[in-house]
Amino acid sequence: MLDDSLHAQFAAILPPAALLTSAEDTRPYECDGLTLFRERPAAVLLPESEAQVVAILKACFEARIPVVARGAGTSLSGGALPDARGVVLSLAKFRKILAIDPLTRTATVQPGVRNLAISEAAAVHGLFYAPDPSSQIACSIGGNVAENAGGVHCLKYGLTVHNVRRVRAVLITGETVEFGGDAQDSAGYDLLALINGSEGLLAVITEITVKLCAKPQQAQVALAAFADVEQAGAAVGAIIGAGIIPAGLEMMDQTATRAVEQFVHANYPLDAAAVLLVESDGTHEEVAAEMAEIKRVLAEAGATEIRVSKDEAQRELFWSGRKAAFPAVGRISPDYYCIDGTIPRAALPRMLREIALWSKEFGLTCANVFHAGDGNLHPLILFDANKPGESDKTIEFGDRILRLCIEVGGTITGEHGVGVEKLSSMCVQFTSAELERFHAIKHAFDAHELLNPGKAVPTLARCGEFGKKPVHAGQVLHPDIPRF
Amino acid sequence: MNAPADLRPPAADVAAIVERLTRDFAERAVTSNAIREQHGHGEGMADAALPDVVVFPHTNEEVAAIVRLCHAARIPVIAFGIGTSLEGHVAALYGGVCVDLSQMNRMLEVNAEDLDCRVQAGVTREQVNAELKGTGLFFPIDPGANATIGGMASTRASGTNAVRYGTMRENVLGLTVVTADGRVIRTGGRARKSSAGYDLTRLFVGAEGTLGIITEIQLRLYGIPEAISAAVCQFPDLKSAVDTVIVAMQVGIPVARIELLDEVQMDVCIKYSKLEGFKPAPTLFFEFHGSQAGVQEQAEMMQSIAAEHGGSAFEWATRPEDRGRLWKARHAAYYASKACYPGKQAFATDACVPISRLADCVLESKADADATGLVTPIVGHVGDGNFHLTVLFDPNSRDERAKAEELAKRVSLRAIAMGGTCTGEHGIGVHKLEALVAEHGEAVELMRAIKRALDPRNIMNPGKTVPP
Repeated sequence: MLDDSLHAQFAAILPPAALLTSAEDTRPYECDGLTLFRERPAAVLLPESEAQVVAILKACFEARIPVVARGAGTSLSGGALPDARGVVLSLAKFRKILAIDPLTRTATVQPGVRNLAISEAAAVHGLFYAPDPSSQIACSIGGNVAENAGGVHCLKYGLTVHNVRRVRAVLITGETVEFGGDAQDSAGYDLLALINGSEGLLAVITEITVKLCAKPQQAQVALAAFADVEQAGAAVGAIIGAGIIPAGLEMMDQTATRAVEQFVHANYPLDAAAVLLVESDGTHEEVAAEMAEIKRVLAEAGATEIRVSKDEAQRELFWSGRKAAFPAVGRISPDYYCIDGTIPRAALPRMLREIALWSKEFGLTCANVFHAGDGNLHPLILFDANKPGESDKTIEFGDRILRLCIEVGGTITGEHGVGVEKLSSMCVQFTSAELERFHAIKHAFDAHELLNPGKAVPTLARCGEFGKKPVHAGQVLHPDIPRF
Repeated sequence: MNAPADLRPPAADVAAIVERLTRDFAERAVTSNAIREQHGHGEGMADAALPDVVVFPHTNEEVAAIVRLCHAARIPVIAFGIGTSLEGHVAALYGGVCVDLSQMNRMLEVNAEDLDCRVQAGVTREQVNAELKGTGLFFPIDPGANATIGGMASTRASGTNAVRYGTMRENVLGLTVVTADGRVIRTGGRARKSSAGYDLTRLFVGAEGTLGIITEIQLRLYGIPEAISAAVCQFPDLKSAVDTVIVAMQVGIPVARIELLDEVQMDVCIKYSKLEGFKPAPTLFFEFHGSQAGVQEQAEMMQSIAAEHGGSAFEWATRPEDRGRLWKARHAAYYASKACYPGKQAFATDACVPISRLADCVLESKADADATGLVTPIVGHVGDGNFHLTVLFDPNSRDERAKAEELAKRVSLRAIAMGGTCTGEHGIGVHKLEALVAEHGEAVELMRAIKRALDPRNIMNPGKTVPP
């Protein structure tokens, strides 16, 4: 419940339609793409100007109530999960593309603009915005920055952090600040990089300048079939090891290809244990040269079949299965749990081998669909939440995968963020000294912990609790944290 | 943070720490004048400030032990690579302990299949590439000087081929850092992407040793391109050369290097590096990387754009030794300028602007410089909007020095006004503190807050990067 004085303050800032407090109106905001967690906020605010955002944050800061910024609500880690004590600050009305500068190749947009809308608006100049999360038709650019979103093309073109030049944001105290600049570099501490992937904990973004890339003359995709999953994993390393950075390098195993085939009829080779999709883009000469090299490496790595797209329609058909993988898996299983661990590419064969063994051990099917070139896994563990014990087994299975990711030098999340979902895994990946730095940075921006509290960085107390559990090889986590 | 009158610690505390370090590090803790003097300055302006002692650690743990001592006694700690920084980064403004990382010079691992390697901070750029020989891989970032990787990470260095491969920001995957309280932390890692936790890697990259000491770096590597060729093209005037660059960037030619030298710079380079067959005229140096077909295609497109702007026919260098000579001449530009004007001192401005403002910024800065009467050769990594005026002045003339400093300030402010930055690659150090405020305004307060949060005792390279 919002207290009366705060309600009056918000009512003075926003028109009635932009201040939602009834249960009926706030229910759509109670979760994001991670539906496992739900919470009803005291209010949902829908400002449409930066001045309104400033006024709202000042009021919340004075009253010391939590603020959760929200874009399109497609986060897979609970980044936009509301706090019952506070407000959801939706940026959905910040929908303007403010400027496109074809010479400098930048677009300045408001945070509620959809990812794909930027590329659509830039297309007349032959330009596009490269990071392309699978949710790009729906997700907003502000959310992309907050989560440092990735996508298929990030292997060649970089993550969100590599494609953002400047961010304008409002601090919890109501001050507006600009990070980065319009040139290639910017002086001083790299605050722009800190904002990228900060999951709404440091500031509320109100304007973003992104880099645009020239649309390549041509793009072509090779589809390669393998009789063995590990062999496909090794082929990924062989391609990169040959010095080729494809525009996209994705892998799907048989569980995944069979699920999508029923859904989109992409004509995938269904007898193959795994399929790789390798895209090359550039000028016609470059694509021809690179594709020849890709085919050679794939054949040497043991591909049983290689098809290269002949035209744009076929290229899109090859990709259609990959893009539809998540919904397709949703059709064959009541529930699935998506993991986002990322590992050095060389560890791919080992990881896939272990996942297959664990899948047998737990009796749970696991579909592998992922950004193989980045080493970014997305194992989808299929389960039925209504069957007793399956949810627990699923979580344990996922936990093992993440621990192995950390063990081989990787990370628990490549692109989805920590949110509320992976807080405990953070205790495994980071030492107390490292977590302390995170908290110090949070305090430099938001000393009262009002912006998106309880997300992204676990408290040391939580890690102390979590560390009490027996860990592999008898190692105690965070031995330096006092236990009570 | 109020401006500290003097952060110099009490002499007794300094004596105690020098004695302790001498005991622990024996001959690896040095207090001789010559060594302290050598560690009191980088390149650029020769205003030295000497540390009280220079220590040469070999391991992360040794660095941590030094920092813990300094933390307890509140003594300044200055990390030192090889001393090629240009903005006074290593000057020990308040004395203290200089941590020279040059003996931490091992390549720790090379992961060819993952295109990365891990090095200790004291490994130099040339050493990385020498040790990668035979792997088919290379590390592209090339600021000219044979700097250490630790120093390059700390200053977020860039260089001639950033236009194709990015700066240290894009090419550092992870770090080992000794924090201000003397703990060893790891940031980032070998995974190509991570959204776990704040991006500490990029925060320490470019922090100039003010938040911690970088001791190990995970670097991104690249396959050596199948074909490399370099070309030189001369222009009737500066504007035509710059316009060629702008069009090339707009068309999206993936050129690996594109360097501008104005007629003054070209003149001294011809004399210093004995280049034959060139005129002292505005000049572009190009390098193309890719497949045979790709390189040829890029070069043909570039030649036609240059020709439209009155550029000469390309002079080609495809043999490695010819390319080497060409780039050596380019990299020697700064030394050439100093050598051709004996008795003069020099420093370099570092403006970087959006490519759409490059012509305005270069031409206005040149006119401004010419009006001062100073000699100011111009070089630039113009593909990414970054250019340098090497400002030459007589150190004995107060008037010339003031003129030079005023000019540098105007160049910084001009770049900022055009939506750019006062530093594309050299960093802030002590010389650009005011410009940082002009550039970032409110955000500087956040930088101060971060400095306080990560170094509450203000012992890490105090007086640099963030204005008091």
